[in-house]
Amino acid sequence: MSQSVARLTLVVLAAAALAGSLIAQEAPPPLVTPQELLEGLKPDGSRWLMFGGSYTNQRHSPLTQITPQNVNRLVPQWTFQTDISGSRFETTPLLRDNVLYVTGPLNLAWAIDARTGREIWRYRRELPPTGTLTACCGLVNKGFGVLGDRLFMTTLDAHLLALDMKTGMVVWDATMEDYAKGYASTIAPVVAKDKVIVGVAGGEYGIRGFIDAYEAKTGTHAWRFYTIPGPGEPGNDTWAGDSWQRGGAGVWVTGAYDPDLNLLYYGIGNPGPDYHSDSRKGDNLYSDSIVALDADTGKLRWHYQFTPHDLHDWDATEVPVLADVAIGGQPRKVVMLANRNGFFYVLDRADGKLLVAKPFVVTTWAKEIGPDGRPRVLPGHVPDEQGSLTCPDVTGATNFWPPSYDPAQRLFFVNAREVCATYYAWAQEYVPGERYTGGAGQRARGRDMRAYGALRALDPTTGARRWEFEYISPSTSGLLTTASGLVFSGDAEGNFLAIDSRSGKLLWRFQMGSALHGTSAITYMLDGRQHVLVPAGTTLTAWALPDVPRVPGTR
Amino acid sequence: MKWTYSVLTVAVLSVAHLVAQDLYLRIPVETRNPLEGNADAIKAGMGAYRVRCADCHGMDARGIRSPDITQVWASGRTDDALFRTIRNGVPGTEMPSFPAPRTSDTDIWRILAYLKTLATPAPAEAARGNGQAGAGVFASNCLACHSVNGQGGRLGPDLSRIGVARTRTAMTRQIRGAVEDFRTGYEPVTLTTPAGQQIQGVKKNEDLFSVQIMDTGERIQGYLREDMRAVTNEKQSSMPAFGPEKLSDAELDDLLAYLASLRGVTAAEPTGNR
Repeated sequence: MSQSVARLTLVVLAAAALAGSLIAQEAPPPLVTPQELLEGLKPDGSRWLMFGGSYTNQRHSPLTQITPQNVNRLVPQWTFQTDISGSRFETTPLLRDNVLYVTGPLNLAWAIDARTGREIWRYRRELPPTGTLTACCGLVNKGFGVLGDRLFMTTLDAHLLALDMKTGMVVWDATMEDYAKGYASTIAPVVAKDKVIVGVAGGEYGIRGFIDAYEAKTGTHAWRFYTIPGPGEPGNDTWAGDSWQRGGAGVWVTGAYDPDLNLLYYGIGNPGPDYHSDSRKGDNLYSDSIVALDADTGKLRWHYQFTPHDLHDWDATEVPVLADVAIGGQPRKVVMLANRNGFFYVLDRADGKLLVAKPFVVTTWAKEIGPDGRPRVLPGHVPDEQGSLTCPDVTGATNFWPPSYDPAQRLFFVNAREVCATYYAWAQEYVPGERYTGGAGQRARGRDMRAYGALRALDPTTGARRWEFEYISPSTSGLLTTASGLVFSGDAEGNFLAIDSRSGKLLWRFQMGSALHGTSAITYMLDGRQHVLVPAGTTLTAWALPDVPRVPGTR
Repeated sequence: MKWTYSVLTVAVLSVAHLVAQDLYLRIPVETRNPLEGNADAIKAGMGAYRVRCADCHGMDARGIRSPDITQVWASGRTDDALFRTIRNGVPGTEMPSFPAPRTSDTDIWRILAYLKTLATPAPAEAARGNGQAGAGVFASNCLACHSVNGQGGRLGPDLSRIGVARTRTAMTRQIRGAVEDFRTGYEPVTLTTPAGQQIQGVKKNEDLFSVQIMDTGERIQGYLREDMRAVTNEKQSSMPAFGPEKLSDAELDDLLAYLASLRGVTAAEPTGNR
């Protein structure tokens, strides 16, 4: 018997013994099933399996151990640091079976023990050479999708990867597009049935945006929806000449999914060039729109354009949120979106009919949406070389940071910005792979131009504001609400905040040392204790109540 | 074997390091802006300038909180030096660095191409005033709040580089009292304690719950808002206006001549034998 055979025998024996003892202790968890994904956030708090917690993107947890009365007793359990300077988390971590799965900046990802914050595995994908990446707004990532024993992650060089949940090894690698042409991907995938749905960024680089679906098992490309219709397709005539070829309309914020209607809902990015629009006369469909796509085929069911012929870089890449509400006495399945352009919209998600549209910040470019569903645009808001002052600013009334929705209270929560900007525009030649914006926006400043932010609670049936919590400067934090009546938010100065979701009153705060930029806290049960996990800057921090006994192995 | 390899590696690396240092020290890199005069680059540079530079340097580049940069070429700076200033920032000042990959070389050359279109020749302002006399005017009027080369007060901004940072016109406006804006870190604030005592100072930082100040006694201290009856942002700058009744035109000329001569703290030459 050779040495290697002997060793192999030993390994096999050891593995068998190990497996035997594991089974005796606790059965390994079954693979993540489509059913689990359909269930979303369960009252047992055992998991957080997708970007928005559930397909609705409500980010509303049924957990009630942490309450408005005891939230001020939260204590940290551990912190995890990426040790990467200059690049921060914009991710929503996933949790399953007491393990966190977290994507980071620079094509990094981790599996982390949720009990201790200790790394289990780390994945890193080599970045293309310095200077060749075009991701406009940070080398970040917004989180994993999951199905079976696989995690799905988009990359800065516009690939979609499947990683083995247990090892972090690549199972398959699909190229979405050529990153050298200005494509990148930072979006957290949606897993709908057996498909992984993703989109591409690059609206500032003259791309033609799209939403792609891949088979979760194999990585085989299933379908593509171009966010800009090609010649012969309806809507292509909303782009002058050949401007459709590089019109942008990226997709970089995760959509929602209605399994009953089998429809995906995605907000679409801005048309390019952003500010100088002579070359792209027309409405520029489906830029700045919400689209409803058949999840099996990618076929467009309906669309609604928030900002026809956008001149201000007002991507509709805000998180769409699904809910069932009664509007005008009639029960409706709706999709809600607080838009960068300053309006809060509620649409019937079966047919796209506009039900509510109301400004949730000061808007100077339009005060209302007409009966034809188009904004009544006011004069004097066309950017030029001299500059024109418009509210909201380029970053917008809100942006990619996730809102939340409490279905019991029927309230939509959003971190809003009250900021204006001077917009400039000029003609620009298109050079592949280079920034193609045709202008710029400069935030208006000065003593008379107060720029601030506020957490606002909106009634989805009217768009009316129930309450607000004001920040001293605009916050870019996402939100989490719980059934016990809490909203978790953050301010731009680095404070993590717990606010009473019924009244807007501040209950607790902690200085994290870095703002929650585009990230939301998530919450789950672990060993009998409710945890709140906060990604801020380069650090994850887990919080729980000190006086709740640990019961290992229970939820 | 392993040992030999390590020694070799160290030796090779050391030589490489020396060579690199030597190259760095001896060979001046005189790169000219490859995009100067390029119309597209100028337009792109205008956008980048307005978004990333204009807040501090002004839309016309004549300086708001930061230096007037319309005369940088006239004052002898080269394209290459300006490129490095943007890339690396100016340590110890508000000028940040703009590192790759977020800011490419092309981005910087475009900004400089645009800036060149705003450039003006050296000012024809007559060299009025007597700098030495101005130093005296400074000592009796300004030194309590402003420092130069480590001497003086800390309540107001350090002025060791003011001759580079501001034109005569801008300094005149500031001194005569036509101050439009507060510089970050110097916004006047008054805290009122529950006992009614007032603490005046300038705001260094703040958030929803706290404020960090330097008070008029130069004490740096953070306070919780909940411990104060009021935290009031003052409208008037802590810098008094020096009208002609306080400072004659001749005194102002002397003062400006002195201020214009302040070009920054220069590090002492190393004294050891290198």
